[in-house]
Order: sequence, then structure tokens, then C-alpha cells
Amino acid sequence: MRIFGDLEFFVVEAFRGVRRSGVMSLVAIGIVTVSLFIFGLFLLFMVNLGNMVSEMGSRLDIVAYVEKAVTPDEAAAITEKLSHITGVEKVRYVSREEAWRSFRDDFTQKLDLATIVGENPLPDSFAIKVRTPDILPRVAEAVAQYPEVDEVRYSGKLIKQIQTLLDALRLGGAVLVVLLFFATLLIVVNTIRLTVLARETDIYIMKLVGATRSFIRWPFVIEGILIGVLGGLLGILILKPSYDAVTNRLQVGLPFLPLMTDKFTLNVIYLMVGLSGMLLGMLGGYISVSRLLKEK
Amino acid sequence: MIEIKNVSKSYPNGVEALFDINIHIGKEEFVFIVGPSGAGKTTLMKMLYREELPNSGTVIVDRINVTELLPEQVPYLRRAIGVVFQDYKLLPRRTVYENVAFALQVTGAARSQIRRHTMQALELVNMLKRASSFPEELSGGEKQRVCIARAIVNNPTLLLADEPTGNLDPTTSWEIMELLDKINRRNTTVLVATHNKSIVDSMKRRVVQLEGGRIMRDQQLGGYSQV
Repeated sequence: MRIFGDLEFFVVEAFRGVRRSGVMSLVAIGIVTVSLFIFGLFLLFMVNLGNMVSEMGSRLDIVAYVEKAVTPDEAAAITEKLSHITGVEKVRYVSREEAWRSFRDDFTQKLDLATIVGENPLPDSFAIKVRTPDILPRVAEAVAQYPEVDEVRYSGKLIKQIQTLLDALRLGGAVLVVLLFFATLLIVVNTIRLTVLARETDIYIMKLVGATRSFIRWPFVIEGILIGVLGGLLGILILKPSYDAVTNRLQVGLPFLPLMTDKFTLNVIYLMVGLSGMLLGMLGGYISVSRLLKEK
Repeated sequence: MIEIKNVSKSYPNGVEALFDINIHIGKEEFVFIVGPSGAGKTTLMKMLYREELPNSGTVIVDRINVTELLPEQVPYLRRAIGVVFQDYKLLPRRTVYENVAFALQVTGAARSQIRRHTMQALELVNMLKRASSFPEELSGGEKQRVCIARAIVNNPTLLLADEPTGNLDPTTSWEIMELLDKINRRNTTVLVATHNKSIVDSMKRRVVQLEGGRIMRDQQLGGYSQV
């Protein structure tokens, strides 16, 4: 009962605050919306990039060629040896016949290779799958150490470059998000500070009659949450249709692009955007009243 | 009730507000603090509800060592002290009832209690009939009554009044003093800082006279100035 009485007081005071600094509250909500929209875009962008890289990584194996054709026993022994390298997920023996078959299947529609090359020019090989793309170079090097292995191939350079690019983007994005967060926080703090200043006497009286600091703080924190959540909801309301429209268009034009369309992942991102709004508002409200709450 | 020992206070701007003050005030006493402006009356009062801290010395109120209180304990000290101001400090957007109830509301009191205690306090200061008025509709004396109601609504053991009649005419000043006297007779210790010579002279209470931050006189049944 008491808790509800207090809660009612906090919420009523919070709404009074938002109304009192009307235009400024709207501005703050708008800025939170824009910031969170950009934050959401960044999250979506990163998720898609990550998706693409792992998709590529799963396609990119290390291929170890052996010099001469191996017997099934030898193949099994080599498979066993290669499997023990750390980071290796799976090793598969690919006979020269099998490789030739799949090669012809891949290209048969475009040109008749058999007529050009004649007989099978491919050696026996082992397809090695690794757990994560970033350890490809290390594993490839380890594979090359085996005397049976004649040549090792993998698209290491490309993966490495993409990884570097991804890391740079992630860092740049994180810096941007942090800057954005503080800029937005500043706006929220200043907006709620208008309410705080308008209510300086109220706060003084509250302190005087023995209200605890947290009690005095709550209305401002709730005011912040109101601003943050409204901004967050608006941000999601813009973000979701924008993303859906862009992915729909891209999927028609570039069907092979591995876009993130997993409902759950996307909903988690939208939820994160909304929660960030709430957090931003809470923090803003908390900070805005702190100076007045200091005790000597 | 109040124990002030060797208290000195200077402000960062160099003003020496109080110098080696020692006062003992017993339970349910009524004490006038007199002296010219700048003598340190307000600073002395602020020290009791910990709006200011002394540079040295100890302040004890109702067995609580105010000088050693942690910030999070300060609210509980203040619930035991009511404060009345010269300029009333009423909240303009709230009615008389809401202004008084506010003091209970913000300490998290139950709704039924808020109503009962607010009514009682307003009744005591004879303002029940103006409960739904806003402060701007009230006379100075009425505002001060509301301010007093707010100060006593949570039943403090100590009531501080800093120049409570500073903005009031003589007749109204008397009414306010009688009200403070009535509250004192209901077992509340009352401290009144004032310039009002005629009231101090005729009420014949204990008088502590401050001058330049020092105690010049501490006299039972005293007058405004020494005879």
C-alpha cells in the first residue's frame, strides 16, 4: 500500500515535469530517437557483416594436396593425423576422382572441360574445416609441416583482410556509439535539469522535512525513463520498417547476399535499442538532480 | 535536547560566523536567540538540522551527533526537526492542504496517516477552513501558520523558527508567537531567532544573545537587551 502511494507520487511528479518543460522534452525525445536509430543501424550493420564473414568462413576450407595418389589406408592415417591439429573441426579425404567429378559438375553447364583437359589432372586432397575463420592461417601452416602434404591452399588473405576491416569497423562504430551516447545523455540531463531548477524550492523543502535522496530522485529518474522510452519506441518504429524495406530490395537485386533476416536476432536488436533508451533516460534523470542532493 | 560544544564556523569566503559557541538546551525549553543581523543566528540554526557543518566542535540534537552523521542518515535527523522560515517557503502550485501533506508524503507515510496528521496540524494552527486555498490567496500571517503546520505535521521534538515574524505586523506577530508558545506547551522544544524586541521583552523566556559570532549573554527569563 505504501509502495503504491509513493509510486503514484513519483509518476504524477514525473508527468508534471515532462509537461512543464514541454518543448524541451519533445526536443530531447527527438534527439534520443535519432541517436537510437543510428545505434540500431550500427547494430544491424555489424550483425550483417558478422553474418557474411561467418558464411564465407564456412565455405572456405583449407585444401591440402598430396603429391601422389594415396591408398585408402594411407588416407585414413593422414586424416587421423590432420584431425589432431588444434582448431580443426573436420577432415575429409577427397579422392582425385571425386574432385574431378564435382569440378565437372560445377562447370559442365558453362563449358565442356573434359574436351579441353582430357583426362583427370587433379591430385588426391584433404578438405579441412576449421572452427573459426581467424585461425585459418595458423592451421594452414601446421598442415603444411606434414611431409605427405605437397601444397596447401586457402583464401587466407581475403579472410584476414575482411577480419581487419571488420575489426576497424567495430572499433569505429563503438567509438561513434559511445560519443553518441554521451551527447544524447547531455541533452537528456539538461532537459530534466529544467524541471529540477523549476522545482528547486520543492527539492529544498523535501530535503528539509527529511525525504531520502532516493525518494527525491525518483520523479526525475521516471521523467528520464519517459523521455528515453518514448525516444526508444520512436527509434524502433523508424528502424524496423527501414530495415525491412532495405533487405527486401537487396534480396531481389542480390539474392546471394547473406542478409540477416532471423526474426529472433532482429527482435533482440530492437529490444536492445529500446532498453538503451530507457537506460539513457534513467541515467539522465539520475545525474540531473545530483548536484542539489549533495549533503554537507 | 541540544548540546552545542566549542562550535566554530567560518565560511569559505572568510566570514567568521560563529566562534567557540557552547549552549545546552533542555527538553521542552523555549529559547529566543537574539542579536543583530550577521550575528550568526541563522548559521547556528542551520547547524542543528545540518544544512551547515561546523569547522570544529560538536553538535548533538536529541542524542544524535549531528556532526558525525553520514549523508544517508541526514533525512532521519530532519524528520525530528521542524523548521519555520521568515519567507514561509510554501510551494505555490499546491494548496494549503497539499503543502502540509507534502512533508508527510515525501517521508513515505501511509495515506490514512497523511490525512489524519495533516488535518490535525491545520486544526492546531487554525487553518483548516483554508485547506483548499493556494498560498497566493493567503495573508502573511496565514502563510506563516501553514508553514508552522508543515513544520510540526510529523511531530518533531524540536521546532526551529528563523525570524518567523520578520514580515508580519505586530498583531499578527503576537498571534504567531502565541502559536509557537502553544506548540512548546505540547512538549516540543522551540528555538526562535528574532529581532522582535517587544515580544522577547514581554514573553520573559530564556534569551541567548549573539554578537559577532559569540555568545554575549545567556539568561533565563531575559529581555531583548541587557538591563
